[in-house]
Amino acid sequence: MKVTSHRAEALGAALPPLLVAADRVAATVWQGVHGRRRVGQGDSFWQFRPFVAGDEATRIDWRQSARSDRHFVRETEWEAAQTVALWRDAGPAMAWRSREAPMEKLERAELLLMALAALLLRGGERVRLIAPPGTLAARPVAGRGGLERLLESLPETGASGLPDYAGLPRHARVVLISDMLAPLEQIQAMVRGFSGAGLRGHVLQVLDPAEAALPYEGRVRFVFDRTGAQALIPRVEGIRGAYAARLREQQEGLRDICTAAGWGFGVHHTDHAPEAALLGLFMALAPEGAR
Amino acid sequence: MLAGLTFASPWVLAALAGLPVLWFLLRITPPAPRTETFPAIRLLLGLNASESTPARTPWWLLLLRMTAAALVILGLARPVLDAGAQLAGSGPLLLVIDDGWASASGWAKRMTAASSVLDRAERAGRPVALLATAPDEAAAAPATTVPMPAAELRIRLAALKPKPWAPDRAAAAVALNAFSSRGAGVVYIADGLTDGTGWNDFAKAFAGFAAVRVVADEQPARLLLPPTSEAEALVAHVAAVPQPLANVATVLAQGGDGRTLARVEAKFAEGASQADAAITLPPELRNRLTRLVLDGPAGAGNVVLLDERWRRRPVGLIGGDPAADTPLSGSLFYLRRALEPFVEVREGSIEGLLGRELSVLVLADRSIAEGPERDAIARWVDKGGLLLRFAGTQTAEHPDGLLPVKLLATDRQLGGAMSWNQPGQLAAFAATSPFAGLSVPPEVHVQRQVLAEPGPALAAATWAGLVDGTPLVTQAVRGAGRIVLFHITANADWSDLPLSGLFVDMLRRTVDLSVGVAGGEEEAGRRLAPVEMLDGFGQPSRPPSAAQAVEAGQIGTLAAGPRHPAGFYGPEAGRRALNLATKLPLPEAAPAIPGAEIEPLAGAAPERVLAPWLLALALALLAGDLIISLGLRGLWRGAIALLLLCGPVQAQTAQQAALATRLGYVLTGDAQIDAISKAGLGGLSDFVNLRTAAALAEPAAVRPGQDDLSFFPLLYWPVAPDAGAPDSAMTVALNDYMVHGGIILIDTRNGGSGEGYAQGAEAALERIAHGLSVPALAPLTAGHVLARAFYLLQEFPGRFAGDTVWVQRDQDRSNDSVSPVIIGGHDWAAAWAIDAQGRNPYATVPGGARQRTLAYRFGVNLVMYALTGNYKGDQVHVPAILERLGQ
Repeated sequence: MKVTSHRAEALGAALPPLLVAADRVAATVWQGVHGRRRVGQGDSFWQFRPFVAGDEATRIDWRQSARSDRHFVRETEWEAAQTVALWRDAGPAMAWRSREAPMEKLERAELLLMALAALLLRGGERVRLIAPPGTLAARPVAGRGGLERLLESLPETGASGLPDYAGLPRHARVVLISDMLAPLEQIQAMVRGFSGAGLRGHVLQVLDPAEAALPYEGRVRFVFDRTGAQALIPRVEGIRGAYAARLREQQEGLRDICTAAGWGFGVHHTDHAPEAALLGLFMALAPEGAR
Repeated sequence: MLAGLTFASPWVLAALAGLPVLWFLLRITPPAPRTETFPAIRLLLGLNASESTPARTPWWLLLLRMTAAALVILGLARPVLDAGAQLAGSGPLLLVIDDGWASASGWAKRMTAASSVLDRAERAGRPVALLATAPDEAAAAPATTVPMPAAELRIRLAALKPKPWAPDRAAAAVALNAFSSRGAGVVYIADGLTDGTGWNDFAKAFAGFAAVRVVADEQPARLLLPPTSEAEALVAHVAAVPQPLANVATVLAQGGDGRTLARVEAKFAEGASQADAAITLPPELRNRLTRLVLDGPAGAGNVVLLDERWRRRPVGLIGGDPAADTPLSGSLFYLRRALEPFVEVREGSIEGLLGRELSVLVLADRSIAEGPERDAIARWVDKGGLLLRFAGTQTAEHPDGLLPVKLLATDRQLGGAMSWNQPGQLAAFAATSPFAGLSVPPEVHVQRQVLAEPGPALAAATWAGLVDGTPLVTQAVRGAGRIVLFHITANADWSDLPLSGLFVDMLRRTVDLSVGVAGGEEEAGRRLAPVEMLDGFGQPSRPPSAAQAVEAGQIGTLAAGPRHPAGFYGPEAGRRALNLATKLPLPEAAPAIPGAEIEPLAGAAPERVLAPWLLALALALLAGDLIISLGLRGLWRGAIALLLLCGPVQAQTAQQAALATRLGYVLTGDAQIDAISKAGLGGLSDFVNLRTAAALAEPAAVRPGQDDLSFFPLLYWPVAPDAGAPDSAMTVALNDYMVHGGIILIDTRNGGSGEGYAQGAEAALERIAHGLSVPALAPLTAGHVLARAFYLLQEFPGRFAGDTVWVQRDQDRSNDSVSPVIIGGHDWAAAWAIDAQGRNPYATVPGGARQRTLAYRFGVNLVMYALTGNYKGDQVHVPAILERLGQ
């Protein structure tokens, strides 16, 4: 055995910090949601219902039925696992953070995505990623082990553009995590496409605190590499109000688009705790009866 | 203070008018924007119309920049502080400098004043001519240089030095009159003295110039005159220009080694031109004086050299006795031979000798009867003469009153034919004796002597004695003089002393004690070469090129000049001093030159150029502005980060070594050996990783003393046959490594079956291990922990096999009983080595896969031993433990 192989092992063992972080965030939320959703945890009674005529014989849970004289049918609320399609914006605008922010927007989006996936997988849901347009759709994953596969199939960063609904199963739930700073028309077209395909979902806007508050002062030239756009602002403090109004306008527009499509909309700042956003996402995905 | 501020380039100041324009431009130009990356830029586009007021540069930054600009302009205008008044006249400027003896005091101030004149002339663009009024070292008369740019004249000015002779006023007047540019201004830096005749012509010569400025010393130099020798004292004379106030001049009397032996003060009364000071010293000290120095600023006029004329010691011998003159038996023969080389010996009758100045009178076995002769001698001794007497039969029979001690009636004979006694030998001289320090030759014997009457004062009067304690030389002070008696004859009749060199030394020391005699005659015609001259500052120096020999007779009458500078002339034994002041006129204050503008010398402060300071301040301000600008644009962090990045590169090597456990090998400098070490330890590391739980990283090469060894559990050190002794840093590092638990495997690579492979490695091992603290060693046996640390081993082969491997003999508990050093010659690294293809490139000797395997196993044991210490030590005791368990 060569010396180098040892190094590879050690590296491999330390690889998925994102998974660990996501798992940790997910565990926090799971604990909180769990208590509220299921009174009498571990009591299996409510999961079964007596066999009634018309039920398929194959649905009888024989093990449970053997304990008593009656036949029981396994019927859980989550019986038919729902497919949740997740997407995080991997565009260059996401891979950015201001001096005040603890992490990039993309990192936070991935963390939220993975944590949500972890939560959903714990709940027995099937999770898949929305592949960027033009690439092969990823297979949905399920079960605890699915999280790592999900991580591996996470699209490369740098791919930009809004996702489309091609290849998604009907009635799947969609979660889109992005800064959603694209023009409203594009977003509206996208959401319309999704909802037209019968998909419901939730949009989470992840913003950097600097994007939310525009904390700069004085004479600043704002640039963004990819677009080449420049904005020379002589006095940033003078336009802060106008910028806030524009941002509010964008967010109102997003909210309107989502509401119109029956979607949920949330805003998350990267300097806030990810748990709150995750809880919001998870609650938005939970069946109406469980809320 | 600002009155002295002038600008060398005043037209640059016009640029100050542009400052308001600069102010306006700086105000309306907004600061450069800092650049921020911002993804939400789409929301910002088109927003800047809401507020159109441009951002302004902060007022303090504006002020900073304006100040810097103003400073630059001021600096370029080359301001000069304390520049002095403008020079009068136009055209060439003549700079006249007195560089005679009197200019040595305050020479630096004179140079500053001259330099300031040159500065002003340079600014005015006027050429300058220089006239130094004293003849130069080559005895050339004073002459004016051609007018030249001030910068070139500066070099000449720097070479100018005060001369140890007087200025030549007459010649300077001729040079002044000959100066062609009569309309020019002249600046005269004067020493304030007339310096003899010729002043009037000199002063008149200034009349033809357009403007005359005189920079004069308020207090002209004093002059130390040659002292006069009196009976008890040497009297120093100081001459000066009369001053309205009484003052004091201090005269130092110095010996040949430069030590000051006396310090006296000469008090000038009001308006007095001369003051005297008597230097009273014991004759011994007075005769050591070589120079008198006037305390104060150094100068040739402040020094008077003293030669033998001030301490001549003529020695008188009573002649006329033919028997005493007989070669080899007469006493005068011995005395003359002993004294003549170093003193002036006179012969004659007592009356004749005492009629002149005499220091020492020698009486060899001559009794002085009562009478005028004896009275004359007694008077002479009372006045300070030294009477040196030798004993003899006559003295023994008729002792007179002029003896230091009372003599016994009979003399004593030692070691004769009829005597049992041995001839007496001289005792070593007491420390208080003037003969102290002279070595006593053993061959000197005294056969006969006169004896002093014992008494309490005898010991104090004795300068030299025999071994048995009888005095040989006694002395007594009489009046101002002294009587010395040698208790033997001056010839070889009574003793061997006159035959030995000690006699000469004793006589010389005795004569040195006598009072010198001032003045004296010189034999005519003898020429004395210049030996040691005084320079203008009164310091000894080599004779200048123009210095010539002096006739001995003329030395007292010669005036010091370039041909004959003041100083010492003649051979060592008879040096004569030529003093500057001997023929110099007394200092006389120079009258003012008519029509001249007077400027005091002391007031000439050096001018200060302000431009560099202003420009430096402007640069500092601009640097501050740069920092502030960077801060305003947010680039400040980047600059700091760039600076900080340069730091941590250094520590990386040590960090890498510390990140993983790895084996180390000592670099030998032999590329092939080092390559084998690397390949061998690499192979061993892989083998250990494969077979054990230890995880070793790639081996590292180390240089003990340079690299930190503390991260390596094991060092492999192959001994190159040509290895030299390690340097001290390496030895210290390796000893420290061993003390703190490290293990060094030293491999001579020539053991057992490999005998003859590395010739000379044994000697090299001795060299390299010389400084190492290698403990007592014992052969490595199968019972040692090293043989059981992982595999159970009976032998420890490497590439070679069969040699003894050595480990520490004693168990050292403090170090976990781990041997700090393992020495063997099996060339283990070659056995462990694996090349790039995974093969073993070095065949084992005698060979076989078994030997290779055992070599690897030894390596594993070694690594385990290094990593776990005596963890497997109990294995050694298993039989004993099992036995105990069985019971």
